[in-house]
Amino acid sequence: MISFEKLSSGYGPCDVLQSVSAIANPGVLIALIGPNGCGKSTLLKTLCGLITASSGEIDIGGKNLSDLPLKARAKTLAYLAQSREALPSMTVEEVVQLGRAPYRGGLGKISAEGKAAISSALARTHSDVFKTRRFDSLSGGEQARVLLARALAVEAPVMLADEPIAALDPYYQLSMMQILKAEALSGNTVITALHDLSLAAQFADHIWMMHQGKIIADGKPNDVLNAENLKTVFGVKLPKGGFKALELSA
Amino acid sequence: MKLAFLIIASLAALLASLFFGAADLSISQTLGALAGQGREIDVTIVRELRLPRALLGAVIGAGLGASGAALQGYTRNPLAAPGILGFTSCAALGAVLALYFGFSQAVPFAALLGTALGALLILKIAGPRKGASTLILAGVGVGALATALTGLIMNFAPNPWALSEIVYWLMGSLKNAELGGLLVCAPLTGLGIALLIIIGPDLRTLSLGEETAASLGVSLGKVRAGLIAGTALCVGSGVAIAGAIGFIGLFVPHIIRLIFGPDPLRLIPFSAIGGAGFLVFADVITRTLTGPGTQLYLGILTSLIGVPFFLYLAVKETRT
Repeated sequence: MISFEKLSSGYGPCDVLQSVSAIANPGVLIALIGPNGCGKSTLLKTLCGLITASSGEIDIGGKNLSDLPLKARAKTLAYLAQSREALPSMTVEEVVQLGRAPYRGGLGKISAEGKAAISSALARTHSDVFKTRRFDSLSGGEQARVLLARALAVEAPVMLADEPIAALDPYYQLSMMQILKAEALSGNTVITALHDLSLAAQFADHIWMMHQGKIIADGKPNDVLNAENLKTVFGVKLPKGGFKALELSA
Repeated sequence: MKLAFLIIASLAALLASLFFGAADLSISQTLGALAGQGREIDVTIVRELRLPRALLGAVIGAGLGASGAALQGYTRNPLAAPGILGFTSCAALGAVLALYFGFSQAVPFAALLGTALGALLILKIAGPRKGASTLILAGVGVGALATALTGLIMNFAPNPWALSEIVYWLMGSLKNAELGGLLVCAPLTGLGIALLIIIGPDLRTLSLGEETAASLGVSLGKVRAGLIAGTALCVGSGVAIAGAIGFIGLFVPHIIRLIFGPDPLRLIPFSAIGGAGFLVFADVITRTLTGPGTQLYLGILTSLIGVPFFLYLAVKETRT
């Protein structure tokens, strides 16, 4: 479980996040939605300690985030960055192995537990079939799934994903969302920034809607994605009959 | 297999360095002299001139290779090299200052001091939390300042003799290699390479980007401090003894990467081995190409060999 209260943070003298509070329970997939620049990435980075909050508290599993040492924090919070970066010539398996970095001992050996985590992450993301291929030989969608596997390999109770499906085709978007949903169903907390409102409606158990640095709505998808909120936050109309879900063909 | 070849090639360069030189010694004479047998002059030549020179070349080459590999891993840019962070220029400035004021004995110390001050200045400018690009900018800036100041000193050199001493020194050479230099250089470079190898796993994680690496528990500040201290020790101690030897830090890791892949974990120690072999090999060539008279300077030769080969690799790589 992760919760935060009156959290403010930003990059310079001005705070992007302005006193936001919320609770994320285990086993729940939370979609973080809002227009560009509303503070979604800032919130995710603050939650995993990449940006230090200027005020407010972050509580993770009963402990204050700022009290956790670097390695312990890395084992508790997995972060999937928006930019998809990896050494091009590394193999898929080598990239996923980096997810075990917080557990690495002095000699850099990966424990049996670590190996199990890596193969499970590869399997859950359907990346095991090409685990010996070079990262740069994969398509954009495959690369995104491998980096998700890297984040899953951390086996952290909380996963923070920053627009993991940006620039992916519908198949990979659905596939990525299914993997994140499965991660939440396995008992972990998943918080993911999303731009696709219909996917948010389809997969999220809970939505945090952000606007100008504040969480202005926090609840079930049907309650949050109402005509008034969509108009204020995005300047769009609610589609007639609500958001339609895409399904993978059999 | 490839690693065995790399080690054998580097050891072969080291042996060749013992066999080649101005004095014409056969292989058996050289080996005998190394063991302390044979004519006294031969023993002196092999043990006090050739052996320290070969070992010193290996140590300096190893330091340059390892620091180039670490810098390329850290910046995730294959064009990064020790020179780019300004360390070579800072070391040279220290040494040139010592030469200008006539303290030739203090050159190694002055070069080390120059590197240390340059490293601190770079760290200060780059700030505690900034990324790799700020560090490079700071390094390029500090290096340019050191080069400008070196130019200023040469500009006001009191006489042509002093100027030529500075210029020759800047070309880099192992001709003044001796046991004392080795005893100063080897521990410092060894410590530097050790620091770089220690940060190897973190550099590997950094290949996912700075934010992801930080989220995986990598302390960016610690990595950077280790990188700067390690590189400063390797480059500073090398320049202190042998002057500015360019290009090895750039192109040795480049070749090693083509053979062994880009993983910084392997690249750092392997580039150290390759750098050692290459520098000793280049030094053997300078000695066999030049007889009595003006000698060919090592720094010139490493650049002359390195640049065309590097261009060939660069063109080949961009075409595939």
